[in-house]
Amino acid sequence: MSVARTTADRPAPLRRRRAGRRQELFWGAVFLAPVLVSLVVLRIVPAVGAITSSLYKAFPGGIIPATYAGLANYRSLFADPGFNATIVRTIVFNLIINPAQILVALLVAVLLVQRIPLVGLWRTLMFVPVTIPIVGSCIAWGAALNPEGPVNAIISALGGDPQPFFTSPGQALASIMVIASWIGIGYWMLFLVSGLQAIPEELYDAAKIDRAGPVRTFLSITIPMLRRPLLFVLVADTVANFVLFVPVQLLTGGGPQSSTTLLMFEAYRTSFAYGSRNLGAAQVVLLTAIMLFFVLLQFRLLREEGESS
Amino acid sequence: MLGAVAALGTTALLATACGGSDASSSAPSAGGWTVPVSDPTATINVLSHLSLKNDKMQDVIDAFQKAHPTIKVNFETIPFDSLASTIDARVANKDGSPDVYWADQPRISALAARGEAEDLTSAFSQYKDTFAPTAYDAGVYQDKLWALPIANSTQLLYYNKDLLKKAGLPEPSASVDQRMTWEQLTTDAKKAKDAGAQYGFLFGQFDRYYQLEPLPVQLGGSPGASGDGNLTPDFSSDAWVKALTWYGSLFADGVAPKGVTSEQTDPAFLGGRAAYMVEGPWLLPQLKESKVDWGVAPQPVFEGGKPATPTGSWSLAMNPFSKQKEAAAIFIKWMAVDDGGGGYIKYLPAPELAASTEGKQVYFAKDVFSSPQGKDAATIIDFETSSTAVNRISTIGYIEFETIMNQMFADVRNGADPKSAIDASTAQLKTAWQKYQ
Repeated sequence: MSVARTTADRPAPLRRRRAGRRQELFWGAVFLAPVLVSLVVLRIVPAVGAITSSLYKAFPGGIIPATYAGLANYRSLFADPGFNATIVRTIVFNLIINPAQILVALLVAVLLVQRIPLVGLWRTLMFVPVTIPIVGSCIAWGAALNPEGPVNAIISALGGDPQPFFTSPGQALASIMVIASWIGIGYWMLFLVSGLQAIPEELYDAAKIDRAGPVRTFLSITIPMLRRPLLFVLVADTVANFVLFVPVQLLTGGGPQSSTTLLMFEAYRTSFAYGSRNLGAAQVVLLTAIMLFFVLLQFRLLREEGESS
Repeated sequence: MLGAVAALGTTALLATACGGSDASSSAPSAGGWTVPVSDPTATINVLSHLSLKNDKMQDVIDAFQKAHPTIKVNFETIPFDSLASTIDARVANKDGSPDVYWADQPRISALAARGEAEDLTSAFSQYKDTFAPTAYDAGVYQDKLWALPIANSTQLLYYNKDLLKKAGLPEPSASVDQRMTWEQLTTDAKKAKDAGAQYGFLFGQFDRYYQLEPLPVQLGGSPGASGDGNLTPDFSSDAWVKALTWYGSLFADGVAPKGVTSEQTDPAFLGGRAAYMVEGPWLLPQLKESKVDWGVAPQPVFEGGKPATPTGSWSLAMNPFSKQKEAAAIFIKWMAVDDGGGGYIKYLPAPELAASTEGKQVYFAKDVFSSPQGKDAATIIDFETSSTAVNRISTIGYIEFETIMNQMFADVRNGADPKSAIDASTAQLKTAWQKYQ
């Protein structure tokens, strides 16, 4: 506004308005530029780069120039049963961990907005795992779940059989889910708590007058009113879990027997450990495509629900 | 035919002796430089996983600067885990830095095939006979030399005399002709554990190909791959199944612990908690400082098998884009060959097994070998490095190979059926190696 006033010496009001509009656009562009530039540099350029790179083939390592190979990388990936199993595993992993994390985070959030004593302390305790660097918590959990570690000592003391955890193909991925959720639940809970606190108290009062029970209140008031934070949490959690990497790299290296080889870890290993940058780029493109599919699906489901109500 | 043409080209270039600082942007192939008689004035960048301070590389570099005052060494340390990817990225920059880098011996074929190592054949192949054969061969790919070895390694069986006495077990013989069998070791280690040892037996490096490759080889198996360029997975023979079955039984029977990592094995033996351990000579100086009453014997062999022991260490390679090839060559030669078996072995304070025969004598003269057990160790090390050592497989696909092998060993350790672990890993490696076919 102040900018428009400084150049307000034009005769015709229409032209003045048009000039002001142009000025506004100009300054709008200036202020948006950092965001737009970083969007292009940090998002679009690498995405285009990954897609382009995935269409080339090169000898591993960085010296010998790559040659155009079309969809050869994708064809060889899909011809590999191991890679197909990795895709299925990644999707199943996400279909379990995302709803589970959000459900638990929501239940904890609902519990922690009730009038219970020391509520601040409980909220802090739930949030503490988030503040620990993930590498640190992975190392600690790795030690705790060691076959001869403290968790098995407790299980044995209580009369149970020691569990293999990370060393058995049947439990390793589940153990990773537990660690990821230990960190994730407290984090997503925080968003849901603030969402819950934003729901007007009158709605609950009205429900009470209508003699709605707690379940009915939860389903008809809490959930619909929480749609926005829920959508955000769902999308952000899905993205976070599709690119989950540190626990796999630190604790299992993709094993035992490939049971924890998720797509993100596979792409890292292909690109950096094996030096096959182009094949790794193809894996990243596929990972992004699958992730986008799920995210768009979530947007769609939650929006349609919104329109029908 | 191609080799002959290349050799002719090399000779022609050598004859014209056009000097080393060729600043062209494409990788110049062999030739164009020689090891000069007088030192040039230059600064070379050297990349290693060793550090000046903790690993005392400063002593080595100081000694080099004293011998070659006009060549300044700019020494850079990168953690072991990221060394390979750092070399990959830095050499690909084509700016010539680092001039010299530490090359993990089994990765040399890949470095050469990727164009990340300079051909050293004409400059250094004349020193072939000064090295242990396996150490020199580790630097050879397609009949050319790409890196010069500066160190070597082997493995020995250490035992804790107190724990053996407690179990009423005889001490294994230090003689290389009276090698213990793995079968006997397994039985005795179990007895020692029953008599109170926390661990019956430890490998220094569980689940690692370096440590475990000799097991199937002792039984007549291949080192893991065969065929053209060693790019065909070859570890499903009976020898491999038998070796892996034995490895898995160590953990199933409680002779070796499931949850101990390779970083925890040395402290366990040095703390008197393990009866037997197979580990490298780097344990010797630490044993000298410890309170353990220890003895040493050659690494065991399977009943009816032929002795085979791990070997290999580090070499030095040159960046093909280096602008200081002559100075770099002087540095490599001084480290590996000069001063009676290599400046690296001579001036590094910690005893490090040499790759050269002369350097081995420098190594054996260090004071860890003066005790009776030290003398036993020296005799065994000398014998194993020259008679029973088997190199890790030489293939341009080594990185994928080692990653998948180590995972397979870990799976067997965790109770996977050896045969199905072998089949799964074979399939995985076939896919990973497709790009080289």
